[in-house]
This record gives sequence, structure tokens and C-alpha cells, in this order.
Amino acid sequence: MDKYKRLTLASCVFACLSASITNAETLRFSIGEDPESLYNVATNSLTANSVINTYLLERLVYFDAEGQAQPWLAESWEVSADQKTLTFQLREGITFHDGTPFNAAAVVYHFDAIRDPNNASPQAAKLGPLDTVEALSENSVQFTFSDPYAPFFNMLAGEAGGINSPSAVQAGGAGYGRSPVGTGPFKFESWLPGSEISLVRNDDYHGQVRADAMNQGAPHAERVVLSVISEAGVAQAALEAGELTGAGLQADTIGQFVDHPDFTTVIDETATNLVFLEFNSAKAPWDNPEMRRAIGYAIDRKAAAAAAWSGYASVALSPLAVGIPGHDAEIGVSYGTPYDPGKAAALLDELGWVDSNGDGIREKDGQAAEFLIKSYAGFTHITRTLQVIQANLDDIGIKAELETADWGAFYPSLLEDDWDMDLMRWTSNDAGILTELFKSPGHRNKLAPNPAIDDLLTKCDTTLDPVIRFECVANAQKALLKDMTIVPILTSWDVFATQANVKDYTIDYLGYLLPGDVRIEE
Amino acid sequence: MGSYIIRRLLMMIPIIFGILLITFLIKALIPTDAVTALFSGTVTEDKAAEAIAQIRAKYDLDKPWYQQFVIYVGNVLQGDLGESIRTRQPVMDEIGYRYVNTLILTAAALFIAILVGLVTGIISAYYKDTWLDVTSMSVGMMGISMPAFFFGFVLIFIFSVQLRWLPVIGRGNFESLILPAVTLGFIEAAALSRITRSSMLDVLSREYIRAARAKGLSETFILFKHALPNALLSILTIIGLQIGNLLGGAFIIEVIFGWHGIGELAVKAIQWRDFTITQAVILISAGTYVLINLVVDVLYTWVDPRVRYD
Repeated sequence: MDKYKRLTLASCVFACLSASITNAETLRFSIGEDPESLYNVATNSLTANSVINTYLLERLVYFDAEGQAQPWLAESWEVSADQKTLTFQLREGITFHDGTPFNAAAVVYHFDAIRDPNNASPQAAKLGPLDTVEALSENSVQFTFSDPYAPFFNMLAGEAGGINSPSAVQAGGAGYGRSPVGTGPFKFESWLPGSEISLVRNDDYHGQVRADAMNQGAPHAERVVLSVISEAGVAQAALEAGELTGAGLQADTIGQFVDHPDFTTVIDETATNLVFLEFNSAKAPWDNPEMRRAIGYAIDRKAAAAAAWSGYASVALSPLAVGIPGHDAEIGVSYGTPYDPGKAAALLDELGWVDSNGDGIREKDGQAAEFLIKSYAGFTHITRTLQVIQANLDDIGIKAELETADWGAFYPSLLEDDWDMDLMRWTSNDAGILTELFKSPGHRNKLAPNPAIDDLLTKCDTTLDPVIRFECVANAQKALLKDMTIVPILTSWDVFATQANVKDYTIDYLGYLLPGDVRIEE
Repeated sequence: MGSYIIRRLLMMIPIIFGILLITFLIKALIPTDAVTALFSGTVTEDKAAEAIAQIRAKYDLDKPWYQQFVIYVGNVLQGDLGESIRTRQPVMDEIGYRYVNTLILTAAALFIAILVGLVTGIISAYYKDTWLDVTSMSVGMMGISMPAFFFGFVLIFIFSVQLRWLPVIGRGNFESLILPAVTLGFIEAAALSRITRSSMLDVLSREYIRAARAKGLSETFILFKHALPNALLSILTIIGLQIGNLLGGAFIIEVIFGWHGIGELAVKAIQWRDFTITQAVILISAGTYVLINLVVDVLYTWVDPRVRYD
């Protein structure tokens, strides 16, 4: 009895301690790593960006559900006739967390900081052919480009676009990245490096001036605490233990949370990543589009999605991810290569790859169909996708050897000539990614000049009218599929789980949480 | 004794120099560095060549490895461990409090290991071949065989997810210390328990123990006054080695339990190729290990007055 009492007392003490960790006014989320800095000029890390742009900083524009730029800190904008000059009219009466005004000078300061060679900013290349940024008046700012640059809107709405308080940046010096100051719904409070970042509600908030936010006033939650948890399994245990309000889920464990009465799952199916196979097109047989097409028909994308992402992924037939503005599913269906091993085998026969000695592997001109596929190590879903591809190719008489290495070793190795295919995954919010990757000579210098693709991609990047640009991007997708530059495989979904009493956990088009909307029901 | 300690401390210099040299050689073999890691995952890598070159020059990464080594050793001799390439903060700021955290975790785990290991080892030896002995040795065998990360997850599942007694997320406070310390401590206790048992069995079969019993001394007195001090020498050697294990074993445990020590930092720094941090962690861990071994050697003379170093 005595023992029992002591145990009960101990459990009460611990339970009380645990209970004090969660309270309704605080949102607790996990981040996978400690950001190196919270100054968006100094970092392009996805984690840092998710903290900076979700809670602390606001941008000139945001993207609505259709992927169109909408006014946020900017009230309106004008594009010049030659599309080289963009003039933004900024909202008045908005102040930074330090009380200084948000104005054209702050915007100019931010973009000058990105371009300042002394800052060696990893964001600099994203500004494209930007020539000058000028403040025309207190609330009017003008960007001038040497050539029209359509991806700029995406950049404004994305990671590099959050505007910092110039006076705080100057005062903070090298330490500014540890105490950022913006205009967002939450203010930076404290950062215990490696442990947690604490943010507090901005009680002087000017209100959500973006139309897609449900809560136009100050945030419901008083505080946000972001705990650094590098192990996904631990983050999920913390969610189950009630220590986190919400957490991103790994594909393997989504099933535990879906339909569980204690949790709500939020699935973002319009994700902006694409897993694809690309080829060493600089050497035979991959210089032949029909050879690449044969591989395209051989891949069972549904099997890959099931094996690698437990089915929480969309089959991709188009070279542009489903969540990127301009994606056209119809084009994938009409011009893509859906799973059809019979067609793949017939194409290989036509190309002269036949199994003449009956060993199960095709040959042509004395060369056996044995090829090397490279990819990056450390990610189970990539390894599993590779295994599905290997099995699929085996079915059509191609023997694939798999080789994975750390990204830092793998990516530069693609500049060499010793490989046949590689499995890639890129995430981007803008169709400009097609240019970055596939405009000749391509991101790994393997693509021969192809005016049908190159000219189209140039046109897409220099067309600022969204409707005309989407048409152009659609044509670029067709051209890339005709050439079979890559074999699109799938887009994995972003899946989050929150406690069941968390309401209005909404993600915007670019994948940012709208933190002011989130509330906890008592 | 004084000259022995000074001699041992001087020996630390070539040891640490050697370790640093090996670290730099390994670094030279790795095709990437912190700057490529900072820019990885962006297609703008080639376009950002200018910025990349600038950062490399700032941190001397554009120089051959032996020049980097000379510069680094020179800086270390002046007490400057450099700046993290990733966070651009002084290495001492990044490591300082984490080193203390690792020492706290190691000390707590060691306390558990010694307490559990000695008690079960002594009981097993005294009640040899009884159910007590068999049970404690079986549990010990399980402890030795079980990987620390697995045991850690089992504890999280039971005490955090199911019972909700202890937090999953490490916040550097006492409650957060319990699970990682128990995980590490229990595993080391298993090995210590077996050594204590065999060492005590050896001592308990000696003539002087029989003589003590013949004199009519109490069993407790015999056990703790005559047997344990004589068994302690080999136990102490194992404890000295275990501190090294604990410092190393803490790496994975710190990651699992979010205990923000140098182990967790080292894992992250390796992922990020942030070699200024990695080097500093290696330097500090090696120094600590060598110092602890020195302390253990000195303790021998206290435990067994027959041991002399002069």
C-alpha cells in the first residue's frame, strides 16, 4: 500500500510537470534542426525559412489558391510595357516589431543587402537580372531588370522576400540572425541554440492584410515555441505524448495518425517537389529520346509511391510538380509515359536492344543493357524508389546497378561521365525551376542545345503576364515530354498531424502555415 | 607523484596533436565542405560561385589542408577555436554550455551505472548461483546486448508516450535528464555488474576472507571492509574506460533525447561539414578522455597504497 501511494505521488508529480509543458495559449511545433541564422539574407535553409517567413517576416506579395500573386505588404503594383520595371505601392501605417516604420527604404535596404558582395548571400542568385532597386517615395519602390524576369514574383513571395527592419539589422550586426525583427504576427522572444526558439504574439499587429487569412486580427495564440528535434520518431513521440501541438509526419507513420480520434491530419497534396529520373544525355544510348521514353514506360510509379511513401504521393507524368503554378495534368496524360512495360519492351526491340543469348539481359552491338543509376544517400524513400526502378527495369531486360552517396559527393559526381541515370528530387515554387534544370546545357552540363525547349523556357521566364506565362509553361511541359528530357515519377505529399483540439491549421499555396489562424479549442 | 602528473599532462600534447592531424587528413579526403553544404539543394550553386569563393577564402578553405592545419594549430595555441562556418558564431559560444550538458549527462549516467552495477555485482557474488544471481546476470546480459538507441526508444514509449511521466523533448532540466541518464547508465551498469561479480568472487575465495570469517567478524563488515576495497582496483579500471564509453555513447543518446550536448552538436556538425565545430569537439573530447584516465590512474594509489608511480 505504501509503495502504491509513493508511486501514485510520483506519477502525479511527473504528470503535473508534463501538464505544465502544454497550455492552450502556446503553440508547440518541432523543427528538424537548429537554424544557422534567422536572417534570410544569410541563409537559404528550408528550416530557417519556415521559421522566418511563417511567423516573423512578411512579404510584398503572397500566392493565392490558384498560384497567382496577390498584394500583401504591397498594396498594388505596375509592370512597365517592356516588362523590365516593376513599381510597387506599399501599404502605409505598418511598423516593424521595433517600432520603426515599414517603407520603401526598408525594401531597398533588404534587396541591397542580398546583393551586397560582402554578405555573400546564398539568396543573391535568386534575384535574376535585377539591376536597381529604388525608393521613388516613402511608400513606392521600383525594381529595374536588364531583362524581364517572371520568377521574381515567386522570389518576392518566398524565402528571400521577407522584409527585415533595417535599423535592427544595422544595430544587430553579425548577431542580427539571432534576434530577427520583422512585421509578422509573432515577435522573436528568445533562442536557446540547439534547443528551442520562442516567439510571442505581436500585440501591436496591424492585422493580416492578406485576403486568404481566416483571422484578420492579431493571432489567437499567445506564444509559439519551436523545439529542435532532429529525429522524426522523437517528434512523433512528443506529439503522441501531448508535448507538441503538431508535427510533420514521416510516410511510414502517417497511418498511425490518420483516423486516430486524438489527432487531425492535414495533407498537402499540391506539394511542389518532383522525384524524377534523368539521363546522362551526353552519351549513348541516352542521347536518343526513344531510349529515354522506353525507360519512362517501364516505371511503375504507383508501386514506387506505395513502397517509398506508403501511398502518400501523387504519380507524376508531367515534368512540373503538381503544386507549381502552371502545372497541367492533362499534358502529362497526353504526352507522358504511363506505366506500360509491354510498350517499353517493344520500344527497346525497335531500338535494337534484344536478348539474343537468353540470359534475361538485352544486348545491342555486343553491349549488354547494364546501366548505373546514381542517387543520394540517407533517405529511405529515395532508396526504396530506386529499388522499385531497379525491379521495373529488370522486368524489361535491363540490369541496373544502384549507387548512392552523400549529396555533397553525389551531386558534383554528375558532372563526370561514368553514369547512365540518376534519381533526383527538387522542390521549387516556380516554373523557373524548368529553366534552372533543363535549359541546355542543364544543371549538370549534359543537355545538348535544343531550341524547341531552350527558346520556350526563355520565353516563360521573361513573360510577366500570368495567363500568357501559364500557356508558355504548358508548352514547355509538352516540349520536355516530347524530348523525354526526364522521366517524372512522383510528388510526395506534405503530411502534418495536430492534436484534435487544434483548429484552422491552414497551409497556404506555397506551403506556409497561417499561424494567426491556428487556435486551440478548450 | 607530482612529476608523474606533469609528465602525463605533457604527454597530452603529442596525443592531441596526433588526433588533430588525423582529423585534418580525414577532412582532406572528404570531397565537400561546409560551404558546399550551405549551398547544397539549390540549383543556383553554380551561379553563386562568387559568394561560395568568398566564404571559402574567409575560412581558409581554399588553402591546402596542411596550411589549414598550421593556421588552426596556431590559433588553438592562442586559445582561439575559430568560428562556426554555418552559424558564423564563435565555436566557444556553440560548445561551452553543451560541454557542461554532456558532462552532466555523463556524470548522472555514471552515478546510475556505479550504483546499479556495484550493488547487483556484489549481490550476485555473495548469493552466487541463487535466483538473485541468475536474475541480475540475465538482466545484465540484456543490458549489454541491447543497443542504446533501441533501449532509449523503449523508455520514451513507456514513460513518455504511455505513462506521460517524463517529457520527450529535452529542455536541459532535471526531468529531461532522467531518461537519457537511465538509458546510458543501465547499459554501462550491466558491464560493471559482471566485472564486480567476478572480481568479488575472486576476492571472497581468498584466505584472508576465510580468516576474517574465522575471527567471527560480521558478514557486512567482511564484505565492505575487506572484500570490496580489494576488488575495487579492477572495477576502477573498468569505470575509467566506461567514462570514455559514456562520452562517446552520449552522442546517439543526446540526439534521441534532444539533450543538447556536444555529441548532438558533433552529429549535426558532421552532417553540415562544419569542421571548425567538429575539430573543437574532437579536441575537447580527447582532452577530457585523457584527463579522466589520468585521474583514474591517480585514484589507483588511493585505492591501493601499494601502487606507486615514482
